[in-house]
Amino acid sequence: MNKSIFLSTIFHILIFSLSVMSFPYMLKKPIDLPPIISIELIQISDITNIPYAPKARKILEKIKKEKERVVSEQAPPKVVKKEKPDAIPLPEDVKKQKKIETKKQNPKKIETEIKQTSEFEKKELFDPNQIAALIDKSKVETAETMRKSDKLTQSQDKNFIASSLTLSEEDALKAQIFGCWSIPLGLPYNENLLVRIKLKLKQDGTVIKSEILDHARMNTPGQAFYKVLAESALRAVRLCQPLRVPTTGYERWKDLQLNFDANEMLKG
Amino acid sequence: MKNILFLIFLFVVFFAKSTFALIEIDITRGNLNPLPIAVSPLHVESKSSEILQEIKVGSEISKIIENNLLRSGLFNPLEKDSFVQKPDIAHLKPRFEDWKLIKAQALITGKVNITNDKLRIEFRLWDILAAKELMALAFTTVPNNWRRVAHIITDKIYKRLTGEEGYFDTRIIYVAEKGPKNQRIKRLAIMDQDGANTKYLTLGNELVLTPRFNPTNQMVTYMSYFRNLPRVYLLDIETGVQEVVGDFAGMTFAPRFSPDGKKIIMSFAKDGNSDIFTMDLETRVVERITEHPAIDTSPSYSPDGKYICFNSDRSGYQQIYVMRSDGSDVKRITFGQGIYGTPVWSPRGDLIAFTKMYQGKFYIGVMRTDGSGERLLTENYYQEAPSWSPNGRVLIFYRETKSGSQGEGFSATLWSIDLTGYNERLIETLTDASDPSWSSLLSK
Amino acid sequence: MLLRYSLRNILLIIMAALILSACAAKTTKKIETQTTQITGDTYTGDETVKYLATGVPDRVFFATNKSVLTTASRDTLRKQAAWLRENKSINVTVEGHADERGTREYNLALGERRANAAKDYLMTYGISGNRISTISYGKERPVNSGSGPLAWSQNRRSVTVKAN
Repeated sequence: MNKSIFLSTIFHILIFSLSVMSFPYMLKKPIDLPPIISIELIQISDITNIPYAPKARKILEKIKKEKERVVSEQAPPKVVKKEKPDAIPLPEDVKKQKKIETKKQNPKKIETEIKQTSEFEKKELFDPNQIAALIDKSKVETAETMRKSDKLTQSQDKNFIASSLTLSEEDALKAQIFGCWSIPLGLPYNENLLVRIKLKLKQDGTVIKSEILDHARMNTPGQAFYKVLAESALRAVRLCQPLRVPTTGYERWKDLQLNFDANEMLKG
Repeated sequence: MKNILFLIFLFVVFFAKSTFALIEIDITRGNLNPLPIAVSPLHVESKSSEILQEIKVGSEISKIIENNLLRSGLFNPLEKDSFVQKPDIAHLKPRFEDWKLIKAQALITGKVNITNDKLRIEFRLWDILAAKELMALAFTTVPNNWRRVAHIITDKIYKRLTGEEGYFDTRIIYVAEKGPKNQRIKRLAIMDQDGANTKYLTLGNELVLTPRFNPTNQMVTYMSYFRNLPRVYLLDIETGVQEVVGDFAGMTFAPRFSPDGKKIIMSFAKDGNSDIFTMDLETRVVERITEHPAIDTSPSYSPDGKYICFNSDRSGYQQIYVMRSDGSDVKRITFGQGIYGTPVWSPRGDLIAFTKMYQGKFYIGVMRTDGSGERLLTENYYQEAPSWSPNGRVLIFYRETKSGSQGEGFSATLWSIDLTGYNERLIETLTDASDPSWSSLLSK
Repeated sequence: MLLRYSLRNILLIIMAALILSACAAKTTKKIETQTTQITGDTYTGDETVKYLATGVPDRVFFATNKSVLTTASRDTLRKQAAWLRENKSINVTVEGHADERGTREYNLALGERRANAAKDYLMTYGISGNRISTISYGKERPVNSGSGPLAWSQNRRSVTVKAN
């Protein structure tokens, strides 16, 4: 019995140190990582996912029904509110859980944890699929990101580990931008309609800097539509300012990349 | 203890992999609300002639642009009452904050003057949120041509903001109708796409039907009952010269130009049977395309000229077929319930518009060129004969109302609808109207 | 008391029955008049019919989307043929028409087909094709301007008119 625990411990430590060595950031202050609570799986993904309606016609139908909304009302759809399901644990419950677990783990953490009273924390969870997606992307982007974050973070913030937004945080932001983005309907729907915009944000969600990643494509002959698309995406970001970002964890999202993809909307 | 270790393990694996990703958020949805746009009246420079001031060219042009944008369904022109900045100042450098307040996302400004008896119209398109100029152009033309300039400006703006060619500097040819239902007087008429500038091309002495433009918009092919011989005719709009197309010993009808404008494709009825023929306008060579005891009519070329879609009742009822332009490889593409007529190939090449009759109702719809993806855009008591806008986004067609026993209450009107099916608009005409055909862009 | 109620009820029932039966009678009457004029889909009345000569009707009617001659139509056309044989100097034009419930271009073709169905039948009864010309008006010249099954059935026709 003891032997197996021993073996397991060795094994774990081995892997842990391996990963620590291969990822230098973790060396400095691994203890500061977000608490283990993030592993707690609360399966509410199908509720948090904003009802998916790819077809332009359906949306237009909605618009037709509520004509008042058509006129320049750029308020984000109400969808988000509706989604708060009854099944989600009340904020207090979650906090209690957190407290308990973090106490066991690392008493120092309590203070920071309590500060996180944002409503986003209610639904601390992750979606395995999403993470799988992130893993793929991270491979591609790791190099770039590392370089960038080196530059950007110089103080002790450096030690902070960037992670993804929680689903609910992401949903809130998405819902806001959905409402701001007027998709140019004339775009050729058989083309690649992906525009990636990198944002640098202030703590209150205002945009300090926005940068189109495939800038070269803007002036490529035969890609005039791309410019139109990119501009519409930039307008959406500006119109939405300040972005509805989480109230905490600024270091996580001060750099943010938005991938605007009009294909689904226009193909429908 | 074991648990904790396991958790640490999981945690390490998880974070080791996701830690370094820059947060990315995929935005796959947006709204399809019309874009709020402010169209400031064009400033008329005081040194220019009084005539300009009098007819208010500046505000008239902005009204035309506004109307065009509104009718496209993609823009929401804002109330001018809410505009704070004066046109001349806005044109120099708009105070973006002011325009942002009224929720404009784009702004159009401009100015007009007369130099050397030429009208000079200048406009700028501004992105309010980005606080920058998107485009600036000037046009010089003869003074009474200002209406067309307004349409050209709309096309430029439309393309800049939607990424798609516009369709505003275009005309519609149609059949103007008047008189009782059983004795309709029909004349060829032409007007701007917005219903202005109506001109009549025939006097109404004989029945005329189904006019269609050639690709350069100078010629029209149509059907006329001149001397009670129903034949396909050709009309030169500039000169007014008319001529009968070909020497057929029977009725020819349902004419259309080939995409290169060199041929006319039409139906020819012999001994009661209608088949499809082409005639080369230069060589006058007539070629038979279909040979079938059923009715073959309403032919329309694909934009590359390689295929022809047409209407046939060889299955027993009217259905839509596609064949190669030499008549080979005929394939039926409609299998849905109901019967189908008037197929018209989209200028983009990807869709075929049609009329569908099902359970006593008439529908205008579109489908892919293999017949899949049928979408019915509008339903009515009677409507038919769709014609595409040059950019392939909008269809124009005509509608007839149900009439009383003496023909009272009967009317024929032109309507347009875009591919979403939600932007349906009446196109006002001076008289009753039918058989509309959309020109290509006049200025390319 | 109870009696009064039941009496009232009986009265009501009788009234209702009367009203209903009145309705029924009316509708059946209407159908009757219609069925006398339209058999299947083809008009069989003579409201719009004119005569080339005494006893020679000028037109025949067709079913929706069809150009098949009915027994009655053939009978009419035989009369026309006989009349044409007697009046050798007269040439005719057969006009083909369609109702308004079709697309314009297809209706032109359909009218042509109907006119030729009539012409062919006349020719089988010995009338020279040179004496008969055809023209299709599609849906352009309705004889009944209404919008309804009766008007449509009267408009689906081919009419033989004197050409000289």
